[in-house]
Amino acid sequence: MSSLRFGPVEIKNRLAVKAFKAIDDRFGVKEILDDEVFEKIAPSHLNFWSCFGGISFFLFISQVVTGMLLMIYYQPSVSQAHSSVAMIMNEVPFGWLIRGIHVWGSSLMLITIGVHMAKIYISGIYKAPRELNWVIGVCLFLMTLNLSFTGYLLPWTQLSYWATVVGTETPSAIPVVGEYIRFVLRGGEEIGQMTLTRFFAIHVIILPFVTAGLITLHLMQIRRQGISGPL
Amino acid sequence: MTTEILEAVSNARRRFLSAVLALFSLISVIGVVYPVGLFLWPHRKKVGGVAVRSIKISILEVPIGEAKFVRFLNKAAVIIHPNEQEVLALSAICTHLGCVVKWNGGKKELDCPCHGGRFDIRGNVLSGPPPAPLASYKARVEDEYIVIEEA
Ligand code: FES
Repeated sequence: MSSLRFGPVEIKNRLAVKAFKAIDDRFGVKEILDDEVFEKIAPSHLNFWSCFGGISFFLFISQVVTGMLLMIYYQPSVSQAHSSVAMIMNEVPFGWLIRGIHVWGSSLMLITIGVHMAKIYISGIYKAPRELNWVIGVCLFLMTLNLSFTGYLLPWTQLSYWATVVGTETPSAIPVVGEYIRFVLRGGEEIGQMTLTRFFAIHVIILPFVTAGLITLHLMQIRRQGISGPL
Repeated sequence: MTTEILEAVSNARRRFLSAVLALFSLISVIGVVYPVGLFLWPHRKKVGGVAVRSIKISILEVPIGEAKFVRFLNKAAVIIHPNEQEVLALSAICTHLGCVVKWNGGKKELDCPCHGGRFDIRGNVLSGPPPAPLASYKARVEDEYIVIEEA
């Protein structure tokens, strides 16, 4: 009663124990923590390559947090976008660090997802009954690509402008609907304020929400089906 | 298994390791809270210390019919001396996508190298994609000097 045990760690401080118990009686956190963290036994076949899904998830969280911080200074307008990013980089204390983590994190996330997918593919983990979770995973990969693409425009530099010109031009090669897709992506005939606002909304709200939802499904299925053994 | 091993570890060693763990946790917490705190703290907009609200250059540096590029308010600006009575100062940042315009001495206009925007000596768009005229500054001649100020 007067002590708490989290795996190997024992907490004896009366106040801490009391405070924790008060929460635990109402939420049952201890049981969840024990099941999921402290008493959980990881399968022995897990190795270095099994970690990349988790690393990608961690990077997603890091992107969300740094993204929220960047939104505090970023201004999604054609006249302000570039100067607000320049301000983040040059004037705001540690702005370079936060933006640096966001920029590098996005590239890193694609790499870790690539490794994760290769591991799942090579070990044949996508096979029944996990095919649908593989499909969800591929959707997550596509979400990440789209997040990278929409985020690339936001600093409104030469590079991002032309990348978006090319990127939105590409679907127009599709017969019949292509031109309409380009029109919708750009929010008009030309790339301008409408495109920037669209990409901003997609980048900071729509895709993160969809991605978070898919990640939840992905993880819930892994929980339910267990981590697959080796071949 | 784990508990057996841990029980074999002496208490002194355990205390030392806990202290190390606590220290590193503290360092990580500070490492996050300090930069993020400073990031969020509204900072006074110091105009760079280097930025100049008005500049003065010798009139000899801009011969009649010529232009000179200078740094004003931390950005590229151009001073044009089209004739004896007049001096003009414009921002040299193209209003299209922010390239720095170039002086075209032959045609007496400012050309943007990026997408071919063209501006006259007063900053008005002559042709090309720029959506708005170049920003202009106040310029006047004072004795031997040209003085530029924010408009
Ligand atoms: S940036 Fe000057 S014309 Fe495009």
